[in-house]
Amino acid sequence: MTARAPLYAVRDVAKRYGHLVALDGVDFSVDAGEVVGLVGDNGAGKSTLVRVLSGANIPDSGEISLEGTARHWRSPQDALAAGIETLYQDSGIAPDLTVAANVFLGREKLKPGLLGKLGFLAEKEMREDARRELERVGIAVPSAGRPVSKLSGGQRQAVAIGRAVAWANKVIILDEPTNHLGAKQSAEVLEIIRQARSKGLGVVFISHTLPHVLEVTDRIVVLRLGKVVANAPTSTFTPDSLLKAITGLA
Amino acid sequence: MKLKLKVLIGAAVVGLMSAQAVAQDKKLTIAFIPGIASDPFFKAMEIGAKKKAEELGITLIWQGSASEYSPQTQLPFVDSALAQGVDALILVPTDPDSLQPSVAKAQAMNIPVITVDTTVTDQSYLTSHITGDNVDGGKQAAKTLAAQIGGKGEVFIMSGSPTGTTNVLREKGFREELTANYPDVKIVDRQYAYSQPATATSAINTALLKYPNIAGIFAIDGTSGTGALAALRNSGKVGTVKLVGYDAYKVQVDALKEGVFTALVAQQPGREAELALEYAKARITGKDADKIEKTVVIPNVVLTKENLPETEKYMYAQ
Amino acid sequence: MASAPQSSRVEAGGSAERLRDLLMRQDLVLLVIFIAMIGVFSAINPRFFSLPAAANILQDFSPVVLMAIGQTFVIASKGIDLSVGSVLGLSGVVMALVIRACNEAGYDPSLTIGLGLLAAMAVGLAVGLVNGLMITYFRLVPFIATLATFGAAAGLSLVATGGVQIAGGPQAVIMLGNKAYGGAFTVPVIAVFVVIAVSWVFLAKSRFGRWTYAIGSNAFAARGSGIDVQRHLIKVYMLSGLLASLAGAFVYFRLGSGSPLSGRGGELSAIAAAVIGGVSLHGGSGKLGGTVLGALITTAVLSGLIMVGVEPNWQQIVVAALIAFAVGIQSVRGPSAGGTS
Repeated sequence: MTARAPLYAVRDVAKRYGHLVALDGVDFSVDAGEVVGLVGDNGAGKSTLVRVLSGANIPDSGEISLEGTARHWRSPQDALAAGIETLYQDSGIAPDLTVAANVFLGREKLKPGLLGKLGFLAEKEMREDARRELERVGIAVPSAGRPVSKLSGGQRQAVAIGRAVAWANKVIILDEPTNHLGAKQSAEVLEIIRQARSKGLGVVFISHTLPHVLEVTDRIVVLRLGKVVANAPTSTFTPDSLLKAITGLA
Repeated sequence: MKLKLKVLIGAAVVGLMSAQAVAQDKKLTIAFIPGIASDPFFKAMEIGAKKKAEELGITLIWQGSASEYSPQTQLPFVDSALAQGVDALILVPTDPDSLQPSVAKAQAMNIPVITVDTTVTDQSYLTSHITGDNVDGGKQAAKTLAAQIGGKGEVFIMSGSPTGTTNVLREKGFREELTANYPDVKIVDRQYAYSQPATATSAINTALLKYPNIAGIFAIDGTSGTGALAALRNSGKVGTVKLVGYDAYKVQVDALKEGVFTALVAQQPGREAELALEYAKARITGKDADKIEKTVVIPNVVLTKENLPETEKYMYAQ
Repeated sequence: MASAPQSSRVEAGGSAERLRDLLMRQDLVLLVIFIAMIGVFSAINPRFFSLPAAANILQDFSPVVLMAIGQTFVIASKGIDLSVGSVLGLSGVVMALVIRACNEAGYDPSLTIGLGLLAAMAVGLAVGLVNGLMITYFRLVPFIATLATFGAAAGLSLVATGGVQIAGGPQAVIMLGNKAYGGAFTVPVIAVFVVIAVSWVFLAKSRFGRWTYAIGSNAFAARGSGIDVQRHLIKVYMLSGLLASLAGAFVYFRLGSGSPLSGRGGELSAIAAAVIGGVSLHGGSGKLGGTVLGALITTAVLSGLIMVGVEPNWQQIVVAALIAFAVGIQSVRGPSAGGTS
């Protein structure tokens, strides 16, 4: 069997903040149509790795490759343009803006012609598109004209996830997407993850909630103190062995 | 031992005497601390001071707060001058009490002090106090304005601030003169500009609205004057409303020529500085010291368009 | 495909809630206050309700509203600009110096005034650029960065003028500052209204405005969505500086001279106008209409108090009360209640 390059991979990534080593020689990859869980205790380096993957942080060393080609992200804009969507831990939502404004944040549609060149927003069009995209993912948000702050925590999270899924066309990274969510809403999020996989996206799923990870992922990568200590198919883990790998306690 | 001591004492005496002799020939250093460095009145004073210092062969240290007229910002300059051990201190005290300790300090160091324009509460140590007369200035303004409006009518006072002593004294003189000699001239209102010409413009415009019969305005300082100019132009009342201002800055003299100001009360800041330096040198060297007067009041001059040929020379240097 | 999750559905507002929303709309409340205020002052002194009085208010209002518009953008981005008052002064002074020099060199008045305006705007943009760079690349907190430029600009004004006012412009300057169409509208005032209209549209309907709100609301999310936050913030502070310099030009036309002390305290008036107008200091919201009304109310109050014979010092107390009221409404309505245009 020929080794085909994974969809999105980073190799031998290191990152330190002063004396603090956040990541040390980390290899990580995700394939199209694969859900990879990324787990680890607090301080293990998950958030740093997420930021390297999303283009928000430039690693001190290591290689990034997308579809076999070496890439170099100077800012989140580069990664986004390449088709990598990231849902950050605090949901990356601007509370004062409307649902539609949030969905199109950074990618606003401009009016055609001269008005567009002057920077005028095509607001009505974006509102329609946002509603349609979110519905497609399974989220109904009427009155998309109200600020997101008026929605509940769960609804905000839904908008954030919906946005990520709507825009993603290669990889989607979800950092703690089920935080603040109750059981029912969490189940909906997991369903969205499955949908994303069946669409052919590579999904990176970071979570503290181990049962969720065991339920929806194909492979699990465990980080401890900045290093990868386990990288294996989900079926090879039990709740116990997973916990042990994370904490390092026998 | 006794011999060593005698030699030491002898050397000391010789040293002191030579130092004295050197001092007599050494150039005098005099510090002049204005109320605020960036102000056209004090700028004119500075020009007069520098000219006189050069003439008398004095090293002049002119230093003051860049932008604030207050004891807090003035004191460091005074302290620094005294610490340098200047031969004399000329001072424009920003507050009569706050600067008193500095005068006491100078006294302890045997440094003569002369105050200019404003003074301290206890003047006993001062070599001299040289000033214009703000109360008289106010009176002159009242006389001039009353005459220009025909001896009767409504007038308005535009003042700079309620606490500035110059403002307060000028207003006092103005009111006293009107009460005493011009019973048919009525002061309808007085507003403060707080150093902003735009505030003065606005206040005067509003006053003109509220009292449509205002015949004359007294602009107590430069800021009020600038504001008044704009206000009269705004409302098209140049000429119909008489405007008496204070201080002969070039800008105001130009406006006088144009006819917007109808009179200006001028002090003589340059002259005040010159006299202060003359007195300081006299006091230190002892030469002509008998000519020093304890208090000198330098008279104001009223400039009008008519008398400008004679009075233009009183325009402040800049 | 999963059906729309129940929990994600948002309740549509009933008519009662819509009425409450209306009452809570800060700009409507402000309009009512403004009208009531005019009514009371005019009742006590009928001359207040006159064209000359309005003309006077417009002259006071114009520089304040220009700076307040700048503050609206800056505060919406969760920043603050304390330098605008000093920029007003410095740009007015630079404009005066350039105009005087050109006039003495015998240039055509239109050219003279044009060059003066360009010089003033250059000053505003330059200070704004310095502010922006300090805040982004040098990572200074906006309060500290703009406090530094506030001092530097004020000092420069005094150094450049020696504390003296600078006049010496052509007659055209006086004309422009004083010829009023319809009794109250000079050319500079008309220009200010144009700026207000353009700014309103810009803030409410353009991508620049939206990104400004986004950065104020959640700068991290904005960056994560691919927005170059640093570059945008620099533009925002340059805009604030530019508007402050236009305010300086306005005051120059009004007075016919540039004074180094002009604009002192301007930053506080501008911030007060914006806050009263509903711009939240938390960032992310604030409508221009509110700011304009805030500026109108605070400047009309001063004129009104003088007209009715109350000590003008009460103006500061009135403004403080208005700020307290505005902030109070905001806390009752909760965060991001100001809304984005």
